[in-house]
Parts: sequence; C-alpha cells; structure tokens
Amino acid sequence: MEKLYKFLKYTFIILWTVFIVAPFLWAVSTSFKDFQSVNSKVTYIPWLDFEPTLEGWRVLVKSPARGGVDIVEPYFNSIFVTCTASLISIILGTLAAYALSRFTFKAGFVRNNDITFFFISQRIMPPIVLSIPFFIFLSTIGLLDSLLGLVVVYIVLLMPIAVWIMVDFFNRVPKELDETALIDGCNPYQAFYKVVLPNSIPGLIVAGMFCIIFGWIDFFFAFILTFTEVQLLPVKVVALNSSITPWWSLSASALISVAPLIIVAFVVERYLSKGNLSGALK
Amino acid sequence: MAKIELSNISHSYNPNDLNPTYALNPFSMTWENGKRYAILGPSGCGKTTMLNIVSGLVKPSKGNVLFDDNDVTNLITEERNIAQVFQFPVIYSTMTVFDNLAFPLRCRNFSEEKIEERVKSVSDTLRLSTFLNMPARKLTADQKQLISLGRGLVREDVAAVLMDEPLTVIDPDLKFRLRRNLKEINEEYKTTLVYVTHDQNEAMTFADNIIVMDQGEIVQVGLPKDLFERPKTTFVGYFIGSPAMNLFETQLHSDNSVKINDTTIKTNTNLSKLKNNNIKLGIRSEFVKVAKDESENLLEVNIQKIEDFGNFKLLTAKMGQLTIKSKINREIEIPNNTIKLHFPAEKCCVYQDNKLI
Repeated sequence: MEKLYKFLKYTFIILWTVFIVAPFLWAVSTSFKDFQSVNSKVTYIPWLDFEPTLEGWRVLVKSPARGGVDIVEPYFNSIFVTCTASLISIILGTLAAYALSRFTFKAGFVRNNDITFFFISQRIMPPIVLSIPFFIFLSTIGLLDSLLGLVVVYIVLLMPIAVWIMVDFFNRVPKELDETALIDGCNPYQAFYKVVLPNSIPGLIVAGMFCIIFGWIDFFFAFILTFTEVQLLPVKVVALNSSITPWWSLSASALISVAPLIIVAFVVERYLSKGNLSGALK
Repeated sequence: MAKIELSNISHSYNPNDLNPTYALNPFSMTWENGKRYAILGPSGCGKTTMLNIVSGLVKPSKGNVLFDDNDVTNLITEERNIAQVFQFPVIYSTMTVFDNLAFPLRCRNFSEEKIEERVKSVSDTLRLSTFLNMPARKLTADQKQLISLGRGLVREDVAAVLMDEPLTVIDPDLKFRLRRNLKEINEEYKTTLVYVTHDQNEAMTFADNIIVMDQGEIVQVGLPKDLFERPKTTFVGYFIGSPAMNLFETQLHSDNSVKINDTTIKTNTNLSKLKNNNIKLGIRSEFVKVAKDESENLLEVNIQKIEDFGNFKLLTAKMGQLTIKSKINREIEIPNNTIKLHFPAEKCCVYQDNKLI
C-alpha cells in the first residue's frame, strides 16, 4: 500500500514537473533556432538536430535602425515602474493594514472590515472599468505616456494586495506583542517599527512578491496608458509579433521576461522556509 | 516602586450604549509599596481589566489611578513605568534572549554597562544565563515565559510588576520554584507584585493580601487566613477552599443559634438583630469533625462515600436533603452507616442574603 502510494506520488510529481518545465525547455531550444529550423521539420537537440544561432537574442538588443527591436529600455522601464510602485504600495499598504488591524474605525455604518473590503474591491472590478477614469485622470494631470503616471496607476493596483495580505498577517500577530512593547517603554510608533515590523518580515516578503508579480506582468494598463514616449516590457514583447511570427526572438524575450520573477521566487522561498513567524507567541 | 491607588474606578467596554454593561463596578483600593497581592476570581470577573487599567492599556470609564499620589489616569502605558506579564509568553522572536531582556532598559536609554549588569542578575535568578545568546524563538514555552517575566523584573525602579496568570504554561515543579523566586525578588527589591490567578492555592501561597473578585465586584480583600476562615460572602466561601465551604439553609433559633432541620447549632455570632429569612450557615469541611465527647452542635448523618486523598480522607455525608463534607484524619476509623459530626461554634459563619454577619 505504502509502495503504491509512493509510486503514485512520484509519478505525479514527475508528470507535473514535465508539464511545468517542458514549455521552458521548448522556449530555450526555440530561442536558439533560425527561421529554417523552426519552419522545416520538428527538431529538439542543438548541433545534432539543428545549428544553433544567437540571432533571436541579438535582435532584442539591436536598435530598430539596425533591424533590431531593442527591448533593453522597456526592460529597465518595467523594472523601475514595478519596483517603485511595489515599494510605495508596501510602505503605504503596511501602515494602512496595521491601522486596520489594531484600531477601531467608525464612520456612519463603515467599520474596519468595510474599509478593508473597499481596498480589495479595487481588484475585484474588471480592469476595463478603470481604464477610462485612469486615462482621463492621467491626461488631466499631464502624466499620460510617462513612467511617473504608470507608477501612480500601479500603486492604485498594487496597494490593495499589500493591504489585504498585511491585514490578515497583522491580525495573526498577537495584540499582546504590541502591548508588551508599550509596557517595555516604546511609544506606539516604536512598538510598530521595533517590534511588530521585524516580526512581520515573512508577511512583507509575501506581499512584496505578489506586488512585484502583478506589477511585472500587467499588460493592459501599460498598453492603454502609453503610446510612444515610454514602453513597458509586456507591451514591447507583444509588439514583436508580425506577419511572420518570429518564434526565436519571442522565445528569447519570454525567457528574459520571466527571469526576474524566477530570481524573486528563489530569494523569497529561502525567507519563507526560515519560519520567522513561528514562536512569537506560545 | 510606588504606592498604587485606584480611586472610584469603574469600567465599561460599551460606555456609549443606552444600557452600558460594566466589566468593573465602582471600587477603590490601595496597593501598598513592596507588597504581594493576588487577584483571585473566576474567568471573566474583571481581573484582567483591572490590571490593564493599572498598566494603562485600558483607560477607565470613570475614576483615577494614582502612583504615589500622582494622577496617572491620562498617562499612556509607556510613561507609567510599569511591568506586565501576560498569560502566554510574549517574546520578541527576532531578538536573542539577551536582547529581549535588555529591551525595556534600552527603550529607556540605560547605559550598556548597567544593562549588562541587570540582565546578568535577572538571568541568573531565572536560570536563563546559558541561553543569553540564543535566538529567543528557539526556547521552549516555559523558558519563553521566563523571558517575559525577566523583562518585567529587569527594571529596578518599576512601579509594580503586574502578572496575568503568568505560570499557566509552566510545569508544576518549576512553578513552585518560580513562585518562591518571585517572593524572594519581592523581599529583596521591595517590588510591588500583583498576581492575577484563578488558582486559589497559587494565590494563598504567594500573596500577603488576596483580592477576591466576582462579576466585576471586589468581594473581599484580606489575608489568606481570613479568606479561608471568615469568608465575607457565600461566594468567597464557595470559591476558596477545596472542597468548597459547607453551606446550609437554616432558620434562626435564638440570639446565637440556628436550626438545621431539627438540630440546633450554636454559633459565636450575635443573631438578635436578624430577620428570619434567607439565613445560611457556613462551615469549612476542615472544621467539621467526627464527634468524640462533645455534647452540643452535633449532627447525625448517613455516610455516602469516603475518598482517600493520601494525606486526608474526604467524607461525604447526608442529613435529609443536606450534603455535608468533612476532611478528616486518615487514621480515624469510620463506621459504615451513621455517624455524629461536630460543628465547633467558633468556626460557624452565619450569612444573611449571602453576606457574613
């Protein structure tokens, strides 16, 4: 029985791994092919099946004037917008979440839970609903087609995620921890940043990870709120497509688009498994 | 260290409602400097609320808190210089044991030499010295609670150390030692200790003075002996002592005696001014004895069961509908059916409307 269970378990894990990894391997292999290798017969192994070439990668960094597409600038634009918006969202979101978790708010029929829901509701709405207001808003303040404008919009989109995760996290940090800090001589601000915050690092990391992922992969707002001045990576990658699909450069750009998230995942995983959370109480 | 005075304090968690419910009814009390107090009562009787009012975590709906005659009611916790230990260990899990113990001193800008000295002294007392450089989260539950306690004791000038059932998670053997340690600390440093518990043995062995609470009221304040022998209300009689005090519905008989069924029981209380309704007689099972040659205050009872507790026997007997419990010496042989029990007059307490006469 136990052997069967083990067998099924490993079979499942192997199948799952193949399912996840195969597309990546396919993309890696395709990124080193040329037109001929992609369109003739099905091939897998470089040097044996086909002659590898770096053309798919080179196109990405060549300027358009020399026949390339140059995704370097959009790449750094994306990094800047995602990181700035995530950082600000985490800071504001954490403060808001702490307040929502520890203080009681009352305004008419509105209570803490309603405010929390209000934050989350920003994400429940289909993005298309927000597109026109955002467009009008950014054009009014003159930030359409600019990095700063995108940062503002992304903060609106990412902060609910931070608030949502951190409210839940702070609710699980016992109130006695804050109270003990007050008794030990901290003022409420010190209690927050000296005691509660260091205990919340796993929560902050999870919230940060989600913000970065959602910021990095957004195509919709990057697409409708920019034109010629600035471009973000997802828009640029989609723009690579033409009448003849350039599978090689699409694969290469997909791989370098995913690379930062893979790095984030590895870093975060180490922190999460450390178990900093366990043992604050009991 | 300070004298702590609670003057006309009352507290409600819903003061703005039409009919606010009070977690603490109005009371006044003074905690003398350097003494040990235990607050004893069932869950939800307002013990923790009282502590939180003293430490400033809760602001009382009415009344004032005074430390050495200074009104601190409106001061926040940080400014009160008080220590509080909660029921479950609270540690700063990202810090080492040393940093945990040093935290209250660092918050108050003590010098590093002073911090070193105090942390060493407290960690020696609590036997935490070998763990000082370990991350606090790696310790066991009872060691973590020792850290909580240590943070309370590390400041010498603290007005009082408030403890909210602090030994719940600690195993019995260590509990006993810690209670003794706390007593020693109190005697050495003259720190006022206030100890909330629902365990009467803990309260009795620890405190100079015991405050018994029930449903937001302070029912009795007194020495362990008074609480045991002369409980002011039937609640105290019932709550303190194991088994609870024997209580019987009675009728007045004369100026100093009452009747249980048809038996007259003499007491040392003057009953001449009482009305004959809702009178109860209370006596501790420790004072109910098997009669030898006494001639009065005797009750003839049927034995129900005898339980052997090792150091004593607990006899449960019936007289009509009444149940009487008596703690007796192990050596005494008890016949199987009927027996005469003696109620010493000086140990009988008479209650009207559940209050001691």
